[in-house]
Amino acid sequence: MIGTMAQAAPYVGYVYPNETDIPWSVLIVIYPYITGLVAGAFIVSSLYHVFGMAQYKPVARFALLTAVSFMFFVPTPLLLHLGNPQRAFNAVLTPHWTSAMAAFSYVAGFYICLLLLEIWFAFRADIVALSKTTRGPLGTVYRLMTLGSDDVSPRALALDHKFATVLAMIGIPAAGGLHGYVGFLFGSVKAREWWSSDLMPIIFLLSAIVSGIGLLIVLYVVYSRIRKVPVDQDCMKGLARTMWAFLLVVLVIEGLELLEMFYKRLEGIDMVQRLIEGPIRYGMLIQWGGSLIVLALLTVLIVFRVEGKALVRGLVISGVGMMIAVLAMRWNVVIGGQELSKTMKGLLVYYPEILSHEGLVAVAIVFTCPFVVLWLITRFLSPWEPEPS
Amino acid sequence: MTQEDKKIEVKGSNLVRRNFFLRMLGIGTACAGTWVGSGNLIARAQSAETAAAAAPKIPDYDWNKHKWAFGVDATRCIGCLRCVEACKAENGVTQDAHHFRTWVERYVYLEGDERAHVDSQSDAQNIAASGSEKEFRFDNRYKDAKIEKAFFVPKLCNHCTHPACVQVCPTGATYQTKDGVVLIDHSYCIGCQYCVQACPYGVREFNHVLGVTDKCTWCYHRITKGLQPACVEVCPVEARVFGDRNDPQSPISAFLRNNRVSVLKPETGNAPNVFYVGIDKEVC
Amino acid sequence: MPKHIARLLLLVVVLATAALTAKHYFTDKSYYAYGHYRGDSVAEIASDEPRFRGNEYCKTCHAKQYDSWLESTHNQPVIGKHVKCEVCHGPVGQHPSAAQAPLSVDERIAMGSKAPVAAVATDGKLPLPKDRTKCIQCHEAMPGRPAAQRQVVLAAHAGTEQCTACHDPHSPKINFAILAKAPHGDAAAGKVLAATCAACHGAAGASVNPAWPNLAGQHAGYLVNALQAFKSGTRPNAMMSGMAAGLSDADINNVAAYFSQASCKTAGADPAKALLGKTKAASCALCHGANGVSPSTAWPSLAGQNPDYLSDTLKSFQDGTRNHPVMTSIAKTLSADDVAQLTAYYASTSCK
Repeated sequence: MIGTMAQAAPYVGYVYPNETDIPWSVLIVIYPYITGLVAGAFIVSSLYHVFGMAQYKPVARFALLTAVSFMFFVPTPLLLHLGNPQRAFNAVLTPHWTSAMAAFSYVAGFYICLLLLEIWFAFRADIVALSKTTRGPLGTVYRLMTLGSDDVSPRALALDHKFATVLAMIGIPAAGGLHGYVGFLFGSVKAREWWSSDLMPIIFLLSAIVSGIGLLIVLYVVYSRIRKVPVDQDCMKGLARTMWAFLLVVLVIEGLELLEMFYKRLEGIDMVQRLIEGPIRYGMLIQWGGSLIVLALLTVLIVFRVEGKALVRGLVISGVGMMIAVLAMRWNVVIGGQELSKTMKGLLVYYPEILSHEGLVAVAIVFTCPFVVLWLITRFLSPWEPEPS
Repeated sequence: MTQEDKKIEVKGSNLVRRNFFLRMLGIGTACAGTWVGSGNLIARAQSAETAAAAAPKIPDYDWNKHKWAFGVDATRCIGCLRCVEACKAENGVTQDAHHFRTWVERYVYLEGDERAHVDSQSDAQNIAASGSEKEFRFDNRYKDAKIEKAFFVPKLCNHCTHPACVQVCPTGATYQTKDGVVLIDHSYCIGCQYCVQACPYGVREFNHVLGVTDKCTWCYHRITKGLQPACVEVCPVEARVFGDRNDPQSPISAFLRNNRVSVLKPETGNAPNVFYVGIDKEVC
Repeated sequence: MPKHIARLLLLVVVLATAALTAKHYFTDKSYYAYGHYRGDSVAEIASDEPRFRGNEYCKTCHAKQYDSWLESTHNQPVIGKHVKCEVCHGPVGQHPSAAQAPLSVDERIAMGSKAPVAAVATDGKLPLPKDRTKCIQCHEAMPGRPAAQRQVVLAAHAGTEQCTACHDPHSPKINFAILAKAPHGDAAAGKVLAATCAACHGAAGASVNPAWPNLAGQHAGYLVNALQAFKSGTRPNAMMSGMAAGLSDADINNVAAYFSQASCKTAGADPAKALLGKTKAASCALCHGANGVSPSTAWPSLAGQNPDYLSDTLKSFQDGTRNHPVMTSIAKTLSADDVAQLTAYYASTSCK
């Protein structure tokens, strides 16, 4: 909203006068969050496509569609946040390469192309089949997507599979890059004590994977309910283990980061402590409390070899819990970093707007869009194996 | 046709296709290469040759002949805040208590206190004292307190030699000029505020009407006409000093010669070009 | 190679070429001219019009004010003090407007003394600092201000009085001669009228009762002010209001002239108290003089005055029966002991 400002008030101590106008709003909380979900979903699909773990086959194609649906909306919060979104292409036109942000359009563009190509190869046989049976404008879209070739010979399909594998292999570092890049975006800001850390890319990447797996579990279970098919138990068990492993590592690294920060006690540590006890205390409680509860729950599920409905329920709770905990972590980083004044002598407290284009309603809409798009895409290209009739 | 023949034919057609593909790829690459070459690289090469001599068309001004710098003598500052209001008037800065290109901080050590009490003109009590967010003054809250030491510190953009804000600008909307001033191109800025984040000194502010970041320019429109920046022009006590380091007679050259100066937050590696006299360990 | 792969690659090449073409087409021509930015923007930024235009600009029309400022304490380059026009008046900007002055400043300079006098118009004027908030921005005593800066505790220095009552901002050092309008009275004519006053204030202005003021040697300007105040009722007094009501302005001036020229007598007081009072008299000295002889003829001298009268007067300021923008607030800072010692001190200073 033009003319809005001062969404932040001094909380304690001295802050620079300009700091009460918080530069990055809650929209920038949602940006790394959505990116993270993409990276996580993609990693799951790669477990099948690259590493050939057959237990993930039921969700592999679905994970790809999830990744692309969310990827479409990664730039949305960024564009909404820009003061002049119509000039966003300036960053593409004359990218200033010393800026981490200049790479965004290229990294994101590359990644979207990669996802689209991989989906195209993974679904090409389906597309060709659909182009022959579908009438009307939708049929035209399918026919355009075949690029005028209906070659579905075993040889062509084998080639497609090879391409898909290669793309997935490129996709893993790309997904890592995409999200590690977001971490770098924050970690490289030396002016912000709470961000400036070499571990930031790794923490962002690992927590992204955990939240993405959580999202996939939830979506997979919901879709299975809708489709009235049983949830694949092997797949669920695999997802539980993967999530547990990544969660454990991310907790260890985040814990080490905090430990080191407080052990070194560099100048300004008092304010960091007051930040944790003050403006972001609920965020920290949700992030750490949620993560530890999920870790405990997953441990129980794995150790006691829980199966059937109990496993599904436990995993859905873990998935939702992890999505919430990681969202809180994004808030703690993005907002917390700005609530800690650059003076290191004061704190701010941020109050998100409700109705403006940077408000909570906008965030809710942006975050709903990928789900709608995913639903549309799955109608357009079904990722599920045909029912054995 | 035998099975063998078919294979050969398939191979043959494959070969033809492959050749076609390679040629196509070659043409594509060549096209792209030509564009890149003619578009950017040549332009860049040409500009590199001419940039050394060429300068922007500013009447009676050659940026190759100047090297601007700024000095602040905190021992002279009386906290009258004329500089803050002058800057806003000269540069059309948003008229409220949250957007400043320059400001003044007050550091007060009460007797027995280890840490300073710090406030700026934006502090709620000071705004209450002035009665408006368009005029600024320091309230006299410490007049009856036992003071060990107190002083004012003017702040502004440091026009760093290695500006973190320029480093992170994704478009090149903010840049450093040859004469050492960090400017921002309002018609090119996309308003991402990454530079606001990156500045260790908190001197960048966002213009919500234009949707772009704003910053101190050392009044580039004044100094290129031989005038002083507005804050220096109105400072009644010479707490602010500005000039050309290439000119040994300039006020800033004398200031740097005659004083032992320090800079703010040297550990950032930004190498600021605003030099301070009379600041204290608590100045942040 | 299968057809779909070839077409895919073709698509990629076409899109890439289109993207590069678009980059070439949309990139500003001056981009990269001096570095990674739009080269034209430097000159654009430099072309902004300054709003603060400096003293020399103001001087072209306001030479009188400029000259008075030039010699004043507000312009002391030697000690690094420059309170320029725009510090208090704000940026010149586009002032004067065309309605105020049809000629531009440059044209005015070129024409020199032949330039027409500017028409008076209300628009385009710079704001004049109206009250003392402008002065205290620099001169209010405040921790943090360097000692070399002239600072005052406002309540003690001026009470609620405006700064401009005593100071001309263009030349702030008080010029007492200019400040007081010395009345032109005829002392001989005043002597005739003074017979009426003699019953209380003595024929030669030495009061018969220590509760009443001595008038001999008092500044004529102050006596005129006091009588005018009694006459108009702004200073109510049961006795004096009636006495003053019968006096014309000329009478007042004449009486004042007579008493101011009369030779005075020092009242005297307890020397021990007076000694203590001397140490507390610093804040009075600014207006009433270090030895009780006021530097301005508009303000009363206190030297040799009756101590009882002085303490009654201070008490009347304290309890509000008398009001004065400066004296009311100063009197309220004084304890009963302060009053006794200060009045003893002034009573014992020589009025000669």
